[in-house]
Amino acid sequence: MNRWLRAALIAGATVAVGCFVWSSWLPNSQYAPVEVSFAVVGLSFMVAGIAAWQRWPASRLGLLFTIAGYLYLVPYILVNLANPAAWTIGNLSEGISGAALAHLGLAWPGGRLRSRFECGVVVANYVQNIAFNTAATMFWNPAFSGCNASCPANVLLIGNGSRPTLNTLDTTEALVGLVITGIVLTLIVRHWRSARGWSRRAMIPLLWIAPAVGAENILTGNLFHFSALVTYALLPLVLLAGPALFVISTVRARTAGGALGTAIVDLEPGAPPTRLRDALARALGDSTLQLAFRLPDGAGYLDTTGQVVDPARPGPGRAVTPVTEASGAVLVHDGGLEQEPQLIRLTAAAASMALEHTRLQAEVQAQLEQVRASRARIVEAGDAERRRLERDLHDGAQQRLVTLSLALGMARDRAAEADPELGSLIESASKEAREALTELRELARGIHPAVLTETGLTGAVQALVERSPVATTITAVPDGRFPAAIEATAYFVVSEALANVAKHARADGAQVMIRKFPGRLLVEVSDDGTGGARSEGGSGLRGLADRVASVGGVLRVDSPSGGGTRLEADIPCP
Amino acid sequence: MQSSAAILIVDDHDGFRALARIMLEADGFAVTEAATGAEATEAARIGRPGLVLLDIQLPDFDGFEVARRLAAAPAGGLAPVVVLTSTREARDYGGRIAASPAAGFLPKDQLSGAALRRFLARDL
Repeated sequence: MNRWLRAALIAGATVAVGCFVWSSWLPNSQYAPVEVSFAVVGLSFMVAGIAAWQRWPASRLGLLFTIAGYLYLVPYILVNLANPAAWTIGNLSEGISGAALAHLGLAWPGGRLRSRFECGVVVANYVQNIAFNTAATMFWNPAFSGCNASCPANVLLIGNGSRPTLNTLDTTEALVGLVITGIVLTLIVRHWRSARGWSRRAMIPLLWIAPAVGAENILTGNLFHFSALVTYALLPLVLLAGPALFVISTVRARTAGGALGTAIVDLEPGAPPTRLRDALARALGDSTLQLAFRLPDGAGYLDTTGQVVDPARPGPGRAVTPVTEASGAVLVHDGGLEQEPQLIRLTAAAASMALEHTRLQAEVQAQLEQVRASRARIVEAGDAERRRLERDLHDGAQQRLVTLSLALGMARDRAAEADPELGSLIESASKEAREALTELRELARGIHPAVLTETGLTGAVQALVERSPVATTITAVPDGRFPAAIEATAYFVVSEALANVAKHARADGAQVMIRKFPGRLLVEVSDDGTGGARSEGGSGLRGLADRVASVGGVLRVDSPSGGGTRLEADIPCP
Repeated sequence: MQSSAAILIVDDHDGFRALARIMLEADGFAVTEAATGAEATEAARIGRPGLVLLDIQLPDFDGFEVARRLAAAPAGGLAPVVVLTSTREARDYGGRIAASPAAGFLPKDQLSGAALRRFLARDL
């Protein structure tokens, strides 16, 4: 809201209330509580006006509240001025604030009347009010109210006035007012019934204003007579409720921005769009909110419940706010919310952030999946390469060394009788060849254990255990074959674990247990040694953990100092 | 009638076959050769060798499969004594050697007429 407008409204309200208090102080000091309640009611309308201007700058609600506030206070000020003209005008305009209240109620919350009929009702209400009051004043002699010399003169009085005419006019006015009030209340109820979502919530303060309109018209209509307590204390309190509720709801609306933040923070990462919609709907106070996404082929929009949404034709009383161009998402909400452009902008921004967050999350997840898959492929390719190397060694160099060794053996046998010296020379060559063969076999086994390819885990683990220098028992190994990458991983876990037992654990015995569970293979190697192994420390265990992770598994090391070591690999396995 | 001195060498490595032939012929065996599993079963059917020296690594199917076929197909005669062989060690094949119908395993670098005769003698 404009700074000057706000300053003017505050100044106007202060002056009006000040004038009212000043004008009513001395002559009617015995009515001080009553006067204070009137001042508070008038002031409350002006404060609600400022709040409305602030909250919904595009709505005329602020103007209507302010006018109602002045129309409420000014007649009393005029009456108290004790000037004949002012006194007369004050008296005849006393009921007009009721018409302004009816106007306010019908125009709620947009500030505009919805149809020509409603315009007619509001104009008729103002006109009948002024017309009847003016006519009645012409026939009202202040002496009828027991006000002889103390009152200023009624400048509109015709002759000495006429009590019967005055009574007829009062009764007619009351009946006309009753009819119009009935129409106004019916219309307001219809507004309430047709409103949905945000608009219906925005009408809550009106639920109290509507009875107030009725009460005001009935009480000031002179048709019924109530005690001074009702007229001067209860009625102002009822009137006060409307503006007060409006101001409270405005303060609550201001915290809706904060609620949005909370809603987004509470939304866990990657929550489905339905949850986002619910969070936004709660924060906005619009239960009809729809979050719709453009279909990939550009063929239209679908909301989170799968309903087709057309942003070009959102339906009566509905409005559309795009979230961001990039996300292709729109918010379809109650049309009344357009009065809160700031809140809508915040909501769209919050939705955009949440969607972007989800998109980034999905992107990171996809990248992670890619990295995982490529790591698994790299490890598998490495395994395949090692298998090929081992086989090449076996088919090539090993084969040739065997043949060479056999040939040398034969040559030695034949040369030994004829030339013992040549015989021993060939024998030493043969020995070299055999040692080379043994070393080559060890090398090939280190590159990739042929026994794993040949027999799977059963034979391979058996071979490892047989070679282990620490007495090792196999508690369980499942029969059957598993995918090569899984067999190789399980094998390397056992191999590395047994090598560690031999090197570091100072153990008397070790145990190997491999068990197949639905969807996973559990490899456990435990020993009764000194413990104290750390997976993050030694590069051997670190590398093994990486290897296990490459097939999506987890390596756990439990190695309390002095309590032995238990290595457990939990590997996903079909 | 099946000759106990007849040996079928099954190996896809020419150099090994040639050397083994020289060595075993010198030891008094009658040697025939086959380079693949299919050739081996065919040669065994025709030649009726008393012993088959069978390499585990063959280009078509492996030695275990050939041993199974040889054990299953003695049409009216005794199945030959099958000795599996490889440049690898026996433990590289885990329990597969024990599970096969072959008489045993002899690492290639320990091949000799005497070693084969021990298998023949054990089988009698």
